[in-house]
Amino acid sequence: MATINFGYTISKPRAIDMDRNNLRKSDEILREMPELQACIGCGSCTAVCTAGNLTSFNFRRVHTLIRRGEYQGAYEEMNKCMLCGKCRLVCPRGINTRGVAMLIKRKLGDNRS
Amino acid sequence: MTFFAPFCLPFIIGAAVMFTVLLVKWGVWLYRLPRTDKMTILRGIPTRRTPQAVGEVVGEALLHRSIFRVDPLLGYMHMSLAFGWFLLIAVGWIETVAYLGLRYVPLQGHVFFKYFATGLEHKPVFDFVMDLLLLFVLSGVALAWFKRLRSRALGLRRTTKHVLGDRVALSALWFIFPARLVAESATCGLYGGGSFLTGSLGGWFSAHLSVPGLMNLETAAWWFYSSCLGIFFVAMPFSRYMHIFTEIPLVFLRRYGVRSGEKASSMDQFQTQACSRCGICIDPCQLQSVLHIDTVQSVYFLRDRRYGMLRPETADNCLMCGRCAERCPVHIDLNTLRLNSRDALRNLPDERRYEYLRGLDRSSGSGKVGYFAGCMTLLTPRTLAAMERIFEAAGDAVWWADREGGVCCGRPLKLSGETDAARKMMRYNTDLFRKHGITTLVTSCPICLKVFREDYDLEGIEVLHHSEYILRLIRAGRLLPKHDATRFTYHDPCELGRGSGIYDEPRAVIEALGELVEPSETRENAPCCGSSVANTAIDDGAQLQIARAVAAELEATGAEVIVTACPLCKKAIGRGAQQPVCDLSEVVAQRIG
Repeated sequence: MATINFGYTISKPRAIDMDRNNLRKSDEILREMPELQACIGCGSCTAVCTAGNLTSFNFRRVHTLIRRGEYQGAYEEMNKCMLCGKCRLVCPRGINTRGVAMLIKRKLGDNRS
Repeated sequence: MTFFAPFCLPFIIGAAVMFTVLLVKWGVWLYRLPRTDKMTILRGIPTRRTPQAVGEVVGEALLHRSIFRVDPLLGYMHMSLAFGWFLLIAVGWIETVAYLGLRYVPLQGHVFFKYFATGLEHKPVFDFVMDLLLLFVLSGVALAWFKRLRSRALGLRRTTKHVLGDRVALSALWFIFPARLVAESATCGLYGGGSFLTGSLGGWFSAHLSVPGLMNLETAAWWFYSSCLGIFFVAMPFSRYMHIFTEIPLVFLRRYGVRSGEKASSMDQFQTQACSRCGICIDPCQLQSVLHIDTVQSVYFLRDRRYGMLRPETADNCLMCGRCAERCPVHIDLNTLRLNSRDALRNLPDERRYEYLRGLDRSSGSGKVGYFAGCMTLLTPRTLAAMERIFEAAGDAVWWADREGGVCCGRPLKLSGETDAARKMMRYNTDLFRKHGITTLVTSCPICLKVFREDYDLEGIEVLHHSEYILRLIRAGRLLPKHDATRFTYHDPCELGRGSGIYDEPRAVIEALGELVEPSETRENAPCCGSSVANTAIDDGAQLQIARAVAAELEATGAEVIVTACPLCKKAIGRGAQQPVCDLSEVVAQRIG
């Protein structure tokens, strides 16, 4: 039976399989910066972000995905950050977000060579 | 006279090792300097700078004038050791000439002259002067011992925790002069001579010891003295005492205009090894005084870097407030060295990074005066609104660089060691300023101000902090704020005060509005708010602790309003204070028409 075209579709279901993802780097990041676990995902960091204002860069999305073991493209995204530090000032949980940003880059790419 | 005895060997070997290592080190460092720096030195030598450098070497390396400013007793201790030892050597040289005329005497002949000169007729003047100088040095050694027990009496709350090698060299140094006293006294006891110090002690020895006993003591004492010298000389180029001979070329290079930069260079060697680990940088550090972290201060950072054991945790854990550099008696460029260490640890050139900057322009308005809010001002909208009000009242047409969002100035990236990435922001913003043809650039963020002035090439554009701009408007009569009886206190932002040398302008503006009361630590000694973008190591609780300590000092003045001139300081201190913290522009805007 042919599917009826209603003029719209729903997004492809996208589940993150925590059993299949390799969480080693994620664990390392959380071990070095345990305060990241205090994140409530409010998105204040993203709301004030200088780079996020100019591009689609979304810090909350990047670090949330990394913590789930989704590293694809995260390093390149993280490199859009200008390290200005506004996110750190607005974080309601007082997370050292600049430290997190630098740690993510160090773990996911800076040491590639 | 042969001028040789077996006990001279430790000294001769030590001195030979020391001078060889010194020459190799200096040679390699100079050879590795960039070509431009070498040319700078060559051009500088025939100028006035050479005698000026000689003067500074005498004033600092010998007399230690900078340490006298920290604490007179501490200054005396360092001076008596350095200048006293220098005089012992210099007068000792003259003494040899006076006794023997102008003839070649080997090095150990000068150093152990008392031992070799027993057969000559004594010259009491020299005996007296040499004893006086020895007493001068011994008083410094006594103070150094006393400092181990009670450093506070010499103006230091905390002193350096030394590594083993330093302790060996330090112990050898401490024993050199008492050993010399005993050795010379024993010789005087046997052969006569000496003055109030060596003569008297020698007399006491001969009265209490038999002649063979005294002869044994003499041999043992000279051996011990020579060994102390030998150990010290061998340890010197590898320990903190390398500063003795490194400060001298450093002073000359600095006078000729050679500087360390954002990338590591050979000049850094002269600076790191000129650190004597005196520990004067420890007390001003708020990470120490407020947070009790005592492994990251400049003295430890330089030590770790010199011995190749610098860890990122140490390099990163610094507010770069510059309080330590302000007090460093050797005037080492501590922040620059910390920066280029971070660069070495973290910089990764990536051409594709920040592609999104291409063609970006969110600026608005037009005018010859440009205003760059900076990221932090965008987060303190009251400052932005106040600046709008001030520009309007002054009647200046303004080009707003980043009111609708812009690109960071690049200093936070630079402070984190990503210098190549920071250059991209700098190029972008420079092009933007040029494109809109501004002649004046005003910013209310000292972090941006510092990078604009130091790293941007903005020839033809005058860069002003808003405090300077507002003061100019007031002095020109274009801004007429009302003066009332409000009592203000002012917090010096690090990047504005120590960083850019702007202390008087914000104070003059405040005095046009009301009364200014100063906190206990102010101007060059002002503390950091704790939220410095240079530190990515301390957590939020630690930042808050520092902010509370700073706020408490500001509130202790009894002022009604705390004023600062940096959006980041405003936010940081605001968290720790009970009363309102305002930006300079806010209090001005409240008082105009």
